[in-house]
Amino acid sequence: MHHLTLPEAIAGTISAALLLVQLALLRSLVLAELITLYAVQSLFVALISLAVGITEREWDLILLAVLTFVAKVIVLPVVMRRLSRDISTRVEIPARINVTLSLILAAAIMGVAILTAGALPVKTGEYLPQADLATTLAIVFVGFLVAILRPNALAQVIAFLTIENGLYFGTVTLAPGLPFVVGILLLIDVLIAVVVFAVLVRVLVSQEASASVDVLQQLKG
Amino acid sequence: MNVLDGFIVGLPAAAAIASLVMPSRFSRPLTAGAGFATAACIIVAVIQASHHRGGHDALSALFLLPVAIVYGAVGLYAHWYVVAERPDAAGERYRREFLALTNGFAFVEVIVPLVTSIPGMWVALEATTIVAALLVRLQGTAAALEAAWKYILIASCGLALGLVAVIVLYAAGARALGTHYLPEWSSYVHFARQLNSDGVRLAFIFALIGFGTKMGLAPMHTWLPDAHGAGPTPTSAMLSGVVLSDAAYVILRFAAIADAAVGPTVVQRMFIGVGLLSLFVAAFFLLQQRDIKRMLAYSSIEHMGIAAIGFGFGAPLAIAGALLHVVNHSASKSLAFFAAGRMVARYETREIAGISGSVDALPISGTLFVAAALSLAGLPPFGIFRSELMILTAGFGSPFWAVAAFALALLIVAFAGITRWVTATTVGDAPVTIERGEHAVLPIVGMGLGFCVVLGLGIGVPLALETLLADASALIGTAP
Repeated sequence: MHHLTLPEAIAGTISAALLLVQLALLRSLVLAELITLYAVQSLFVALISLAVGITEREWDLILLAVLTFVAKVIVLPVVMRRLSRDISTRVEIPARINVTLSLILAAAIMGVAILTAGALPVKTGEYLPQADLATTLAIVFVGFLVAILRPNALAQVIAFLTIENGLYFGTVTLAPGLPFVVGILLLIDVLIAVVVFAVLVRVLVSQEASASVDVLQQLKG
Repeated sequence: MNVLDGFIVGLPAAAAIASLVMPSRFSRPLTAGAGFATAACIIVAVIQASHHRGGHDALSALFLLPVAIVYGAVGLYAHWYVVAERPDAAGERYRREFLALTNGFAFVEVIVPLVTSIPGMWVALEATTIVAALLVRLQGTAAALEAAWKYILIASCGLALGLVAVIVLYAAGARALGTHYLPEWSSYVHFARQLNSDGVRLAFIFALIGFGTKMGLAPMHTWLPDAHGAGPTPTSAMLSGVVLSDAAYVILRFAAIADAAVGPTVVQRMFIGVGLLSLFVAAFFLLQQRDIKRMLAYSSIEHMGIAAIGFGFGAPLAIAGALLHVVNHSASKSLAFFAAGRMVARYETREIAGISGSVDALPISGTLFVAAALSLAGLPPFGIFRSELMILTAGFGSPFWAVAAFALALLIVAFAGITRWVTATTVGDAPVTIERGEHAVLPIVGMGLGFCVVLGLGIGVPLALETLLADASALIGTAP
């Protein structure tokens, strides 16, 4: 009988928490709540980076955890909150289908992701040999679902950011030795992408007076 | 990294920074010069690589060529384009941003085939997404905004899957290479037999889906017609001519690793599947296009599909043909976009129905458009005819002969679509309200150079290129 070590227990708990937050994204239709959920999820990601960093004595990961905390738990949520306050008084997000149905869909997608990853005999992760690839895929796929089901520019940005959180989780657990410079580049890349997203959101708002992407329906065929 | 590489990367980077601070009347000729000089440096590097000097393998060298072909001409073309687009003093900000971003775009595009690490390629490819989205947005119209939004969202999601591939591949190498290693493609190929085979297989599937989004392969192609249609013409040429080939390059690196580690079966089947689907989707959309730039965009999906099928056939002749096809496509497609851009500017519409008799109105640009379109349709004596012939010949001689036959049928459908719209827009007299004559020299020079490449690669493949094609197909294909 295999006994859980402390890092394994931490990694397991955090990956469960990450999945729950990802599901909660679909439950909420208020922009401010989505931003909070993103900040919470980022905090979990920073924690797992810290936990792996300490147990593996990887100083890179500890530094990355600090940077993740500053960038994703503090700076990005503050910027997005300001942006969401600027762009509209109505913070309710439109939904393509109702909350219950979207949650069922998300649960199904998560199941598919976990079964797919479980069926593959890739035993590579240190802490969660079966579950870390499954968690990564589940977060990424549900992130896609959020982007599809929420036709609001900022909600789509948050979906993209949670996908990136899932990927960061995957990097830390599946490939903890990946060079530090790669981690930094990923972080910078996300920040630049968010800046571009922000520019586009602003233009979108100035032209259409709402951040709904449903006005973006002209290009077809 | 040697001095030549320094120039290849440094020239566009310096031009980008200079364009940001200089008035556009200086940065326009500067961009043209930087493009030309970069192209010259790349050609020297490619010739060196064909003699196994300069430190690049054949595949890297081959995928530098699209940058040389497109960026070399874009500078000359943009010299006219930015002023034609915004002639007034108020357009100075647009002109500056456009030129800085265009040079910056070339800078990130040329990095992809130069970096040796897999995560480095991913970062460079993501950077092309960001710069391209900013360029597409520049037009300022609602359609441009929609296209930019769709592009960055879909491409970023695709690249997210690409990053899963990078991570899974790293994990698959951990047992053989230790938990801390430099994820260079050469070390993966070298230790291919010791990699975790399921991990490698999974990584290739994610890479094909993820980077295939950037390559414009169906069913992940939906951003492509919008971004190509709504973006500025030089941007469309660079997106179609270089970004697609960059993405193809990254997929090929994954394919080479997967081939060496687990054999060619998965790689071939996946390539043929997405390739045929792309060809199918593009051929039928080509038949019913109303917008000239979107027509060219669907033709890009078609040609990326053909290249993917060629990689799928797996025989050295097919792979060499597919690699040559990517280079040919860059040349023909950028020329077609340049010429179409001249027509759109003159007729002030992208609707095919609104453009007629363009050879009458623009004798040189219109004629070059006909030539480029016939090349894209796959007619001799142009380059694409040669590469398609190589791919199909190899296909008919392989176990996949039925795929080759189906692909040939779809090529005929695409041919019908392209020739129909080309005839409609070019033949006959232009309306009397349309001004006659070219009135610009530099874009004609740029397009003329592009035409020389399109025609030249049809007449004969230079020896250096032939060597590289053979070397590169040995790198990717299964060694006999």
